[in-house]
Amino acid sequence: MTLSALNADVIVDQLNAGELKATDCVQYFLDRIQTHDAEINAFVSISQTALEQAEAIDQRRKAGQTVGCLAGLPIAIKDGICVSGQPTTAGSKMLEKFTPPYDATIVERLKSADAIIIGKTNMDEFAMGSSTENSFFGPTHNPWATDRVPGGSSGGSAACVASRLAPVAIGSDTGGSIRQPASFCGITGLKPTYGSVSRYGLIAFASSLDQIGPMTRTAKESALLMSVIAGFDPRDSTSSKAQITDCLSGLETPLNGIRIGVCRNQFNDGLDQEVETKINDATSVFKLLGAEIKEIELPHSQYAVAAYYVIAPCEASSNLARYDGVRYTFRAPGNDLEEMYRNTRGQGFGNEVKQRIMLGTYALSSGYYEAYYLKASKVRRMIKQDYDDAFQKVDLILGPTTPTPAFKLGEHAEDPLAMYLADVYTVSANLAGIPAISVPVGQSKNGLPIGLQLQGRAFEENTLLRAAHQFQNVTLWHDTSPSQPWRTQT
Amino acid sequence: MAGTPEQTTVNQVAKLARIHLNEQQIESSAEKLAQILGYIGQLDEVELPEDVTPFFGAIESVNAIRDDQLQASVPRKEILDNAPDSDGEFYLVPPVF
Repeated sequence: MTLSALNADVIVDQLNAGELKATDCVQYFLDRIQTHDAEINAFVSISQTALEQAEAIDQRRKAGQTVGCLAGLPIAIKDGICVSGQPTTAGSKMLEKFTPPYDATIVERLKSADAIIIGKTNMDEFAMGSSTENSFFGPTHNPWATDRVPGGSSGGSAACVASRLAPVAIGSDTGGSIRQPASFCGITGLKPTYGSVSRYGLIAFASSLDQIGPMTRTAKESALLMSVIAGFDPRDSTSSKAQITDCLSGLETPLNGIRIGVCRNQFNDGLDQEVETKINDATSVFKLLGAEIKEIELPHSQYAVAAYYVIAPCEASSNLARYDGVRYTFRAPGNDLEEMYRNTRGQGFGNEVKQRIMLGTYALSSGYYEAYYLKASKVRRMIKQDYDDAFQKVDLILGPTTPTPAFKLGEHAEDPLAMYLADVYTVSANLAGIPAISVPVGQSKNGLPIGLQLQGRAFEENTLLRAAHQFQNVTLWHDTSPSQPWRTQT
Repeated sequence: MAGTPEQTTVNQVAKLARIHLNEQQIESSAEKLAQILGYIGQLDEVELPEDVTPFFGAIESVNAIRDDQLQASVPRKEILDNAPDSDGEFYLVPPVF
């Protein structure tokens, strides 16, 4: 079996057993990137030191020294997360030349576990988008059909795992940016509970919604990455001291008696027929695995996208005020300070980012705060309350991750609303702060992956991952790879 | 819900946001803003209980305060290396007045 067909946990086992050298492993994936990434455009930059780091790990293993739990495993990181000394652009012209002088906490943790960061992945500019078409570095292509989008904003991370240009990746999710591309690319993606993974070093989009998480082929690999990246961090003031339960140890516990809620008002006109069928099929699989399926209601979920498109742009308009041509590399000249600000922001930001800053500035401007931000925050309370009520009755909530499979590049270019509705099932979890995972559950007739979303109680990632793992124990969708030149060889 | 923005409002918002937009961008921005605000308008349909409190963040915690201890920070040079213009000690900007 070639490396591209192996899961990260197996790669780590082989590295630990001395059956595989870290240098060979890293070189293998660097070669795959070299061969295939011109067509996919999953990466913005490749690490120049990955092989050196792999060499050092091989030496340490040879010398019998202790190594970290991911020693030698290549990993790709979304380009909105700071890696010291490695360009970190957030997909923006504004940060084209930015090199962070420090590591994000999750990067520090991955490095402590001796994982090897092989590159930074493409994304919608400042994570604003659902297709990775809003990147200054050009769109990423879906490895299943290169004329289609990989989803977004973590489209590069999803595409590189789906095409096995890296065994695993890290993304970030503000309204669905891990789960929606995971669904479009046929992989597993987990948005953890707000506060369970440190945001220190994540380039902020909407601080009350942003969360970093794993994007992998299997739930087991996501559990492995969570065991490294999750945990309290004093450098993130919203980091929680309530620790998530160990994700790895309970994976094999059967699902007998688990209560899974299905919200029928999510199966409405906007849902593609093929997606609905696959979600129903998967629901039957969960029944066979011992789950009890119950109908639940989330009466306010239909307002989630509207609330999100007030709250997220408001927070963004504040967070992105820092890009003023003074501190972060890009400056467009102006005759005075104010003109320099305006020119820098006019030229440095792309259209979607400018649009969202404008929307946020408008909604927060004098006289409009109550009508928009305050009202949306009250609706957010109702959405959270719906979940609190539902989780009295069920342990998990099941539904589609996205209304349709991956759409074509350019399909929603002129219609921002159609693009925003790609997140219709995912934004609620961000608004409520609960964890949610997308797992592949089938394909459309034309061979595009379809994803199912499970949502759980805060800090119960272990239940989500266990359910996803049990599902993957009896299905093969996570193991299916695109019939393309980058198909995994077994 | 408040009304939809006119182009003059968009101009004003662009000023507040310190973003230079040309006329064509202002026109297109006004159109898109109107479309999105129209969609957001459905929040008016939600029947909110009188006593509902807004939910601003997913973790309703109290202030996180660290001990006031000196810690090493990123060296000044490394921070200024990312600046478009500096004299090695301070950021340099165009005239303020």
